[in-house]
Amino acid sequence: MLRFLEVTKRYPGGLTAMDRVSLDVPRGQFCVVLGPSGAGKSTLLRSVNGLTETTSGTIEVGGVALTPKTLRRVRAEVAMVHQQFNLVGRLSVLTNVLTGTLPRVSTPRSIMGVFPEEYRRKACRLLADVGLEEEHLYRRASQLSGGQQQRVAIARAFILDPKVVLADEPVASLDQASSLTVMRLLRETSAQRETTVLCSLHQVELALKFADRVVGMRQGRTVFDGPPGRLDSDALARIYRRDDEAIAAGGAEEAHRAEAARREAARAAGTMP
Amino acid sequence: MTESPTTPARRPPEQWKLAQPFGARSFAVALVVAVLLALSARHTEMDRLAFLSAEYVAHVLGLRVESQVARGVDRFVSTAFPLVIAEETPVARIDGFNRRHLPLLSHLEMRETSTSEYDFTQQKMVQRSETSEVLVRPVGYLVHVLGKMLESLEIALWATLFGIALGAPIAYLGARGYTPHRVLYVLARGSAGFLRAPPEFVSALFLVLAFGFGPIAGVLALGLHSAGFFGKFYADDIENADRGPQEALVGIGANKLKVLRFAALPQVLPQYLAYTQYVLERNVRMATVIGVVGAGGIGVELKGRFDMFDFGHVTTILLVIFLTVLGLERLSQWARARLI
Repeated sequence: MLRFLEVTKRYPGGLTAMDRVSLDVPRGQFCVVLGPSGAGKSTLLRSVNGLTETTSGTIEVGGVALTPKTLRRVRAEVAMVHQQFNLVGRLSVLTNVLTGTLPRVSTPRSIMGVFPEEYRRKACRLLADVGLEEEHLYRRASQLSGGQQQRVAIARAFILDPKVVLADEPVASLDQASSLTVMRLLRETSAQRETTVLCSLHQVELALKFADRVVGMRQGRTVFDGPPGRLDSDALARIYRRDDEAIAAGGAEEAHRAEAARREAARAAGTMP
Repeated sequence: MTESPTTPARRPPEQWKLAQPFGARSFAVALVVAVLLALSARHTEMDRLAFLSAEYVAHVLGLRVESQVARGVDRFVSTAFPLVIAEETPVARIDGFNRRHLPLLSHLEMRETSTSEYDFTQQKMVQRSETSEVLVRPVGYLVHVLGKMLESLEIALWATLFGIALGAPIAYLGARGYTPHRVLYVLARGSAGFLRAPPEFVSALFLVLAFGFGPIAGVLALGLHSAGFFGKFYADDIENADRGPQEALVGIGANKLKVLRFAALPQVLPQYLAYTQYVLERNVRMATVIGVVGAGGIGVELKGRFDMFDFGHVTTILLVIFLTVLGLERLSQWARARLI
């Protein structure tokens, strides 16, 4: 369903965020990408829907190779859940979920804010699925708690039944209890629809609990790929490399990496969308 | 990216270099600023201002000094009151006057007007008095002024609508991330600046030439300026809005208009309301005076009465303007508090 072939991303500064990553995620798999910050997890996810452009290699979604020509088509099949939720705080919960249908609603209709009844009903069902109530429908998204906001974001992601959902550190801004709820909902919702999920995390215990498969990344390379059961201390050491020397050396490099990613984001913000 | 962390020589904190405030440099800057201000004060007759003000204060304190300022003030104040709110029209000057059907709230009075003139047969000045009948409308002038004030408000309203209609597309083309092309971005930003550059009075002068006396010139002069203002500030806000929600919609393949409508506009709406309210208020104030150059509204009346030294009428006009602007400000404060 989702295939990476020798994908490399090099930032203008010379930093390599993804180094010849090859990965094949079959349909319906819940694949967790694990790694320290700056390992290239976000870059990997964001390259699937073209929010980050890759330097070389091929990405295929459902057999369609990602090119500037196919970008819009691929994007309509891929949804994303973000670390900062990225809801519009001043819009209602319902409208936030309905923005997920924008690729299928004509421009004039969407400008007027008139969404088809079918989508409005579906939004209600999805909101109920993620544990929200009727009373939440017309609340502003900013009035909800972090966990509730991320649940709204999950409903938004699934409303068009995408083939692939990218979850970029979906629980990094949440407390322990909300994290478990959100991960469970993400897992259940995707399982019902056989949606392929690529989810980046930095908490090992969550990966062990929810993943079908874990891909470990470090400094832009995949250093582990297997079921969570095979994630032993040796594998974790490869991903997180516990020895002090590596931390000292890696620390500077990771800071460098994070800085490069930040600059890239700022640059992308300047030229987006 | 190429910078490498430079390690300065390690020194104990007692020796760390601290910037000293108020050095020779600040002194030099202060001196230069003082000299420039002194030169500029000469150009703007600040010395004469001091002299005239002192003269006026001495006059007020009763030191019997002649004062130019006092003369001007007295001239206005002595004739500014009482306010004129009535209107009198000689019946002889009313076409098709019908004594049985007087206009609402009006009555007829006889007026005796005396004129002095030189009588050649008697070789001296004589007083002559004439009686004429006039139609008195006790609040006629006030009604006339209020009508003109309403015209000013309408000019402000249309100018603001015009500004939004023209400014919104300029803002779209001039917002990075939404503009279809780099060239259009530069053009949009440039035209927003160009529209804001000329003061409304100057553009109104030219527009009066083109469209004639009346409200059209006022609406256009204020509207074009507003469009420039909206074109810049709407665009700036879109550029500064949080990228996250916009990126979320870009990522699923929504086009630019949809992203703007659902991720950018909701974020900037409170600021947009604030700008629009500010521009509307500013347009009301400007529309009350832009008539001075003939561009319609109450300003035309103000200018005319002022030039004829009808200061009683002028006071009425100023009072109406003052109360209207004050009232509108209150109204918009209230509306804003309810909307946001």
